[in-house]
Amino acid sequence: MKPLQNLVEKVKPHFEKGGRFEKFYRSFEAFETFLFVPGNVTTRGSHIRDAMDMKRTMVHVIIALVPVLLFGMWNVGYQHFKAIGVEAEFIDQFVYGLIKVLPIVIVSYAAGLAIEFIFASIRDHEVNEGFLVSGMLIPLIIPASTPLWMVAVATIFAVIIGKEVFGGTGMNILNPALLARAFLFFAYPSYLSGEVWIAGTAEQLDGVSGATPLAVLAIGEGDMPSAMEMFLGTIPGSIGETSTVAILLGAIVLVVTGVGSLRIMLSVVAGGLLMGGILNLVAVNEFMEIPPYYHLIMGGFAFGTVYMATDPVSASQTGVGKYIYGLLIGVLTVLIRVVNPAYPEGMMLAILFMNVFAPLIDHYVVQSHIKKRMQRMEKIPAKA
Amino acid sequence: MEELLNIFVKSIFIDNMIFAYFLGMCSYLAVSRTVNTSVGLGFAVIFVLGFTVPINFLLENYILGRGALSWLGPQFAAVDLSFLTFIMFIAIIAAMVQLVEMIIEKLSPTLYSSLGIFLPLIAVNCAILGGSLFMQERNYANISEAISFGLGSGVGWFLAIVGIAAIREKIRYSNVPAPLRGLGITFIITGLMGIAFMSFMGIEL
Repeated sequence: MKPLQNLVEKVKPHFEKGGRFEKFYRSFEAFETFLFVPGNVTTRGSHIRDAMDMKRTMVHVIIALVPVLLFGMWNVGYQHFKAIGVEAEFIDQFVYGLIKVLPIVIVSYAAGLAIEFIFASIRDHEVNEGFLVSGMLIPLIIPASTPLWMVAVATIFAVIIGKEVFGGTGMNILNPALLARAFLFFAYPSYLSGEVWIAGTAEQLDGVSGATPLAVLAIGEGDMPSAMEMFLGTIPGSIGETSTVAILLGAIVLVVTGVGSLRIMLSVVAGGLLMGGILNLVAVNEFMEIPPYYHLIMGGFAFGTVYMATDPVSASQTGVGKYIYGLLIGVLTVLIRVVNPAYPEGMMLAILFMNVFAPLIDHYVVQSHIKKRMQRMEKIPAKA
Repeated sequence: MEELLNIFVKSIFIDNMIFAYFLGMCSYLAVSRTVNTSVGLGFAVIFVLGFTVPINFLLENYILGRGALSWLGPQFAAVDLSFLTFIMFIAIIAAMVQLVEMIIEKLSPTLYSSLGIFLPLIAVNCAILGGSLFMQERNYANISEAISFGLGSGVGWFLAIVGIAAIREKIRYSNVPAPLRGLGITFIITGLMGIAFMSFMGIEL
């Protein structure tokens, strides 16, 4: 480590004020803090020092995403070999998935971080770790067949319009990863209809595609996988969303480390079950008759609940607000899935919708607290 | 009854005045700085829409439309006053807005002063005239459907302005790039909210 440290110390003057590469100071700083803890001390204001800083929070989310990513890679390979009807070893399946998924992850990181560094240099703010999570979430919520340039375009859109124009990490109103997904969904609907999932090139797999369970239900034809298959995740779908088991592992990591809000997760699940149950009572078509718990293991419900709805920035901030926010996400997701024929999957849009209204929920929760406390104040007799 | 509910829900979420038609943007952008004033303006719009749409519905069906005057006698069946539609609709709207203005001034002078010029300007708010013209275009069958449509459109507009006001309160201390501060970022937020509202597009009711 010593030679590396010496190198950093040696080039540092060039990046500081008055140096040759003054403009690139923020990029240099990002790498420096990535390698070492800098010796800067705060100069004004009081700070709370906590081991759980932003870097560590973000790294915890990345750790929680690892099972989903690994399973997603394997599943891409598994679905591919299943679709072309070839028996394959576990390792072959995994390697095939790796080759498919890794470029998407790299492109998403490269595009997003490039924008992040450019903005940090121009606007002179620190490069934040927030994108490390968004850059990992984006590949996981799109189908493996998405062209790489689309991934790049969507990532750039989400980082600039979703985050940087609001002032960077922690200021955004919508979840950037979901915004990227929504951008792809509305800009290139034919590639990303959320219905059909194809691995491999078109020549390899002419006409062979797997419909996701939600698409099967929406169109009303095709084979419905069993609940166990959907729970384990050996079904077609976006890279990270299929396996409820892997997502549950991630959820445990998030809840134990205190990064993800258990209130939101539980209330989303409750909302989904509630609406599923209500629709069961109405039951005018086949889609409404499926058992409520099916909604939890199908499509992106579990993934959205654990990794998207709990985004600490765009979610509701108050305790009571989190319950309301989560419950409405669950209800809306199932409602959009079942009632809206245009979209077989409702998770993405439900979370975006509630992101928009989260500040309003918070506003009224805070107002009601203020009112309650004022009343309590009035009851206390004035001291003589 | 079910039809009324459908029209109501549809005009709130699917045919939202702001996010589906981008109507009434001027006061939506200008008065959405704080939640409290936007709630006030939102209620004013609900009230005005809820009254003008049904009144204009009656006007359209019993006075202005082709053959609408036939209830006076068979000799009036050929009269077509539809060239007066716009001016009559606007007259009704202006009268309603005057009424709302008087009520608000009486009930809440603080709200009245914080709404300022935008309260009388509801009279030329495109969402209000838009509501009456959509009512005409969509041929609602009876007055209760018109009421349900008017109230629904108002509630949709209310939701939109209160939602964006809460967001604008939240980002007040955000480090938004200087050229985008104020209206610029509000336009971007409106676009992003539009994406979120697209979740309801395509629902058939």
